[in-house]
Amino acid sequence: MDRADRISSIFWLCFAVLVGAASYRLGLGNLHKPGPGFLFFWTSIFLGIMSLAILVRAWPKKRTEGPEGPEETIFGKQNTLKIVLVMTSVFLFAIFMETVGFIPVTLLLFVFLLGIIEKKSWRLTLFVSVLVAVISYLIFEIWLKSQLPKGLLGFLRF
Amino acid sequence: MDIIQSVLYGFQVALQPINLIYCFFGVLIGTLVGVLPGLGPPAAISLLLPSTFKATPVSAIIMLAGIYYGAQYGGSTTSILVNIPGEAASVVTCLDGHQMALKGRAGPALGIAAFGSFIAGTFSIIALTLVGPFLAGIALHFGPPEYFTLMIVGIMVLTFLSSGSMVKALMMAAVGLILSGVGMDSISGKYRFTFNIRVLLDGVGLVPVVMGLFGISEVLENLETEIKREILTAKVKNLLPNLKDWADSIWAIIRGTILGFFLGIIPGGGAIVASFASYAVEKKVSKHPQEFGKGAIAGVAGPESANNSAAGGAFIPLLTLGIPANAVMAILLGALMIHGLQPGPLLMTRAPDIFWGTIVSMYIGNGMLLVLNLPLIPLWVMVLRVPYYLLYPMILLFCLIGSYSIGNNTGDVIIMLIFGIVGYLMRKFRYDAAPMVLALVLGGELETSLRQSLMLSRGDFSIFVSRPISLGFLIIAILLLIVPIMTQRKRLSRLET
Repeated sequence: MDRADRISSIFWLCFAVLVGAASYRLGLGNLHKPGPGFLFFWTSIFLGIMSLAILVRAWPKKRTEGPEGPEETIFGKQNTLKIVLVMTSVFLFAIFMETVGFIPVTLLLFVFLLGIIEKKSWRLTLFVSVLVAVISYLIFEIWLKSQLPKGLLGFLRF
Repeated sequence: MDIIQSVLYGFQVALQPINLIYCFFGVLIGTLVGVLPGLGPPAAISLLLPSTFKATPVSAIIMLAGIYYGAQYGGSTTSILVNIPGEAASVVTCLDGHQMALKGRAGPALGIAAFGSFIAGTFSIIALTLVGPFLAGIALHFGPPEYFTLMIVGIMVLTFLSSGSMVKALMMAAVGLILSGVGMDSISGKYRFTFNIRVLLDGVGLVPVVMGLFGISEVLENLETEIKREILTAKVKNLLPNLKDWADSIWAIIRGTILGFFLGIIPGGGAIVASFASYAVEKKVSKHPQEFGKGAIAGVAGPESANNSAAGGAFIPLLTLGIPANAVMAILLGALMIHGLQPGPLLMTRAPDIFWGTIVSMYIGNGMLLVLNLPLIPLWVMVLRVPYYLLYPMILLFCLIGSYSIGNNTGDVIIMLIFGIVGYLMRKFRYDAAPMVLALVLGGELETSLRQSLMLSRGDFSIFVSRPISLGFLIIAILLLIVPIMTQRKRLSRLET
């Protein structure tokens, strides 16, 4: 876990420095009347110290005994490509949801996830995609009145 | 007498047909969530939170609470039949529950889990009814310093009991606190950490954050490796435990109930800790500890009672002090705030329908769960057969719709997705999300009470130690910080010698 701790602690240290600087700019006030940046400035200092503690603990030590084993990987044999593709598709869903409309993007999302990522048969993919798009629209738009974007299908006025 | 009248009023609220329907859906969804591996109660509650926006606050809270305690019931089913815990509090149930199932005793295992859950759930609700008003009465005397130190204790307990490194948990609490500062400062009117991004002007919403941290990240983690499910194909029969089963488990149920209740009250405790603690206690007091892990019914009855009792107990600090005991309660606290309510000692007097209606709905919900759980087991087994390739796109869609419907803008969806990635990375780098969520929820109140305290004392920090309750809370917080350091040092010195 040392390598992962080194990476994460450096990230949080940088984050703490940025928050500390932003809080300082906001104004710390004084103890009688703490300013808007007061709590967050001290919180960022605390975060920085904790990050340093993790970093120091995870810093590679000099070898005293025999050779160390290979360092562990954070993203090893897992399905990283699948995760990246799934996340990309949901980001695209979010971006095009308002312009294209809820039903078409849901349909496309399910076709992509089931047909391309999961490699299911096209009959099953299309059946599930249409079913989910229609039922979810009925539940959220008609029953729960969530005001989902109509986009390209807005002219249908349903 | 007051309590009796209040409980009767609670029944009047909870028995309204619409609230009964919400309660029913809550426990049904809760059981379903408990049954389904890969979807825990925090994720499910955050997923369904936006769907309650159109409901009245009392109906919304009744349903969300139902999901939480319903999940504790459902979790045992997968643990026993599939050897995969439906949710974290049922991990221990796998040990003996599945062994019982392999020996052809799945029925009594499921039965005792359901009865134990019912007994424990009912006990904790009665205790909540009695203890709640008493605690709320004490909390009425709290001022800003007491609230500030109490919230510090809440965060410290959650970090103390965090699954991984305590330093990392403290860091996550600090990050949550910083996130709570995004948006407009209520005292000075200045915008903080918004970087002129429109969606950040109102602050970082709790719903997108928890949906991302718990919902999306859980999906991503499950995508890494296929969940293999070996469902018991034999028919489940004899759900009613026999007299010997009862004799073997009744004390385990009683002990689990009491232990779970107290662990549930403590902020940071909750169902997971309770179930593990109960298993350890049962193994210790048993005359046949060697049977544990090989199908001892007490190993199912104790933890299942403890996790349900803890689920009820966790409502006490939330409803009486406004302090969430765990991540689920933090989300419920957020839900109450979204519905325009301020949880705390005044909730009982300002919104008695919420306070008593929710408590009484739990009695009704518990009854519903007992009726639901046993006869519907074949249905839950069928649900377990839903393949994950169908389940995860649905969870993703729920998250997308849920986060969009908060404010009908894609900004919240993007925030949710970003926190999904953050949550996934946090899992990979072993950072616990619960302290972050708790600090995010409490952050606003914590900052206000700190600033009010300092204004009251004209900048003198001794206000926190000169008031006895506040001093007591501070001592607890410091102890929680010191104890792990001391025990770690002892362990290190023992290793060196």
